[in-house]
Amino acid sequence: MTRLRAVREPVLWLVMALASVAAVAADTPQAWLDRMNEALNTRNYDGVFSHWQGGRLETLRIVHRVIEGAVTERLESLDGSGRQFVRDGAELTCYLPDQRTVLVEKAPPSLMPAGLPKFDGTMTDFYQLESLGTMLQMGQKAQVITVTPRDGYRYGYRLWIQRSTGMPLKTELLDTTGNAIEQVVFSSLSMRHHIADAEFKPQLVTTGFQWLRDDGGPAMTTETGGSWNKTPLPPGFQLAAQTTQMLPGVAEPVTHLVFSDGLATVSVFIQTEVFRNSPNQVRPGVEQVGTTSAFTSVQSGHKYVALGEVPPATVRLIIEGLMRESAGQALGLARGPK
Amino acid sequence: MSNEELESQLSAMFDDELPATECELLARRLARDEQLRARWGHYAAIGACIRGESGIRLETALAGRVSAALKQEAAADEVPAGGRSKHGFFNPWVTSLGGLAAAAAVAAVAILWMRTEAPPGLARTAPLPPVAAPLQVTPASAPQLAAVPQPAPVQPGAHLRQSREPDSYVTPAAVSQGSALVAPTELANYIVAHSSYSGPLMRRNALSALVGGDSAVPQVTAQPIAVTVVTGK
Repeated sequence: MTRLRAVREPVLWLVMALASVAAVAADTPQAWLDRMNEALNTRNYDGVFSHWQGGRLETLRIVHRVIEGAVTERLESLDGSGRQFVRDGAELTCYLPDQRTVLVEKAPPSLMPAGLPKFDGTMTDFYQLESLGTMLQMGQKAQVITVTPRDGYRYGYRLWIQRSTGMPLKTELLDTTGNAIEQVVFSSLSMRHHIADAEFKPQLVTTGFQWLRDDGGPAMTTETGGSWNKTPLPPGFQLAAQTTQMLPGVAEPVTHLVFSDGLATVSVFIQTEVFRNSPNQVRPGVEQVGTTSAFTSVQSGHKYVALGEVPPATVRLIIEGLMRESAGQALGLARGPK
Repeated sequence: MSNEELESQLSAMFDDELPATECELLARRLARDEQLRARWGHYAAIGACIRGESGIRLETALAGRVSAALKQEAAADEVPAGGRSKHGFFNPWVTSLGGLAAAAAVAAVAILWMRTEAPPGLARTAPLPPVAAPLQVTPASAPQLAAVPQPAPVQPGAHLRQSREPDSYVTPAAVSQGSALVAPTELANYIVAHSSYSGPLMRRNALSALVGGDSAVPQVTAQPIAVTVVTGK
């Protein structure tokens, strides 16, 4: 007995110590972000939340279901307009009762890269993760995690993650000075094992509505590599995807580049066709649409448009880098090999 | 006549600044040229969308002049080389104007409208009436149209199709008064394409901004800034 106890006690302490380390690891900001990602991507839920942005507050209901990776979702405005969005896989149907219109969009499946972007360990060079402890949110225990950018090229987040489910009960998008520019707060949330198809049907009568359908255009070709990899970019941003796709109203394919730092994404669209007849109609400049920044510029008959949920300086820097790179290539081609 | 001259004439016609005689000639040309008709239709739809006019119809003085000229041409049995009958000539023009081009523009702008919110401090216009009003194009819109990059003509059979052919279209009810650097329709298309690359949290928040909007339309603030344009020379 004595020998057994002599062996058992150290093992017991070791097990307890390891369990303690594991518990600490499971409580890191990164672990909470991982839990949140998993909950958002895999759980069924039904909730009511308020959305604040640009000085306006709206109440919405969301019903979200995942079956073998396929997402079905209904988002409904409970205030005023009564608009509803129903997403079923790649198809998004927008019911606009105030416009007596229904829009149906279908994105090409290849436009749905898995897990981009997401909160993961690759972003810690450019964001500082911090846990602010446990607070009550919606009467539930929530872990408060902040994602603070280390420079002015990206926005930050403050997240209230429900400890029991991993769901974000409250989220804030923060500008470069730490001020909230967008906020989503749940007032009720239930995690459900089963959600019937009927709950994704729009709760409105569409008799007499006009239906407009966009099938997403011809098949898109996906390219890899290419010279855009050498583009000088804001710190941390890398080329994450490069495609050529058709856009409505544009006769020629548009080059679509996606740059990401692992969390923020910026899309760049390069097209030529529009400016053949009117090269002087577009001026360089930045536009702000909600929390999305867009920057447009023209060079040698090509139009460059960058946009994303990042500060205006980021989209501008990316476009300027692309244009320098493009001009360098043109110069090299003009000179020819030595 | 070069393409540039045609563009200029078309623009002047749309601005109601083209002399009546030239207007008639151009109308005849419109009857023969499908691509030109598509471009005219796109001008009309885009202009209406950008102005955010609701309840406007094609029966304006300008449209009336064009229609009259076209009908006159058809009555004279000047069937163009394409061999269209007098019914077959006018209907495609109307279809092009009120159908695909308008649908493309309206759909794109509506998507933008749903997916954006007005920045704080910007005035909003009155909401649309509850019942869709027919699309109408007025000459008064022309000066604003001139500031918009001209998109390519939308060809019949493009990838946008309608589930049902509507007899009316709805346009957003407000105007982007700033000097928009990218046409709202183009920006809408870009935002739609970009949203496919957002994560679940970002996408949900973005959709919330759109679903939760009132009847106002997107207000795009434009802040032109200095930038070095590298010419590559």
